[in-house]
Amino acid sequence: MLKAFIVLLLFQLLGETLVGLARIPIPGPVIGMLLLWIALHIKNGASAELSQLSQNLISHLSLLFLPAGVGLFFLPPSIQKYWPAVLGAMVVGTFLSMLFSGALAKGLSGRKGGEG
Amino acid sequence: MNELLHHAQQFWLGLQHKPLFGLLLSLCVYQLALMLYQYFNRRVILHPVTTGSIVIALILNGLDISYRDYLNGNQLLYFLLGPATVALAIPLHQQFHNIRKLMLPVLITVAVGAVFAPAIAVGVAAIMGGSDEVLLALYPKSVTTPIALGIADIIGALPGLTTGVVVFTGVIGSLLSPVVFYLLKLHDPRLQGIVLGLNAHGVGTARGFEINPTVGAFASLAMGLTGAFTALIMPYAVQMIN
Repeated sequence: MLKAFIVLLLFQLLGETLVGLARIPIPGPVIGMLLLWIALHIKNGASAELSQLSQNLISHLSLLFLPAGVGLFFLPPSIQKYWPAVLGAMVVGTFLSMLFSGALAKGLSGRKGGEG
Repeated sequence: MNELLHHAQQFWLGLQHKPLFGLLLSLCVYQLALMLYQYFNRRVILHPVTTGSIVIALILNGLDISYRDYLNGNQLLYFLLGPATVALAIPLHQQFHNIRKLMLPVLITVAVGAVFAPAIAVGVAAIMGGSDEVLLALYPKSVTTPIALGIADIIGALPGLTTGVVVFTGVIGSLLSPVVFYLLKLHDPRLQGIVLGLNAHGVGTARGFEINPTVGAFASLAMGLTGAFTALIMPYAVQMIN
């Protein structure tokens, strides 16, 4: 597990370094993910250890968002009065956006071979 | 006796400000919320982030602990978002044969969808009378928290509101996904993954892995691409609009 964790952190560091040097606004971990993806491609797959650790981390992804989610209940009073707008944007906006992107993805993939 | 009580009180006050308390609170409440979620066959309405954050908010209020102290205690969880994002490379690699076939539709959907998602959200909030502060925080609502925080910083949005909106957009997106899939007759796990990752980022991706590995991998891909694309164009777009 330790080795696998080192691999993940090293690729994150690699990503952060690249982002810092090239001054691109993309977060380091996302670049790290792309770099590891390429590395896995060259190496032809992840070790059992790395697969296990990443599966563990990903299965608890929601936990990592929990503290930030709690923040929505502790907004400053100047924001609190706008909660209907915030809620409307989150529910209606997300719903419409999902319908739109789903229809778009379906249309695009259907045209490309009809295996949708 | 009085001295003992005083001592206990001091001890409790000290404990509140230590990371141990906030982190343990998150882990315990999340574990219970997860058990509840699993007991009810993973009904999205009982998403552990929803039930968990409500319970934690109530506990913090009841014990009179500030959100800032609680958040400081949870730096470790926030830090783990980094390696967890990198870890998404593994399912991406495992599903590569699937992804290669759909690369072009994925790219186009993400590029268009990543513009549409914030536009419609900001539009709805503007119609409902949201202030400029609120509108700003909604721009990065569909990208994963670390990216959203980076964007919020650049465009000058409130970080607390931004992360809260992002997380609950993820929960709401996961919650609405069965309805959306039903309405669009979207049965292809690859396309379901794209919709989840694009609109509900990490929370939707976690939900995707619960459905099956293909949905999860496509959600990871769409999440990563949406995040990267949004991070690249959003600061310029907001500057142009305002």
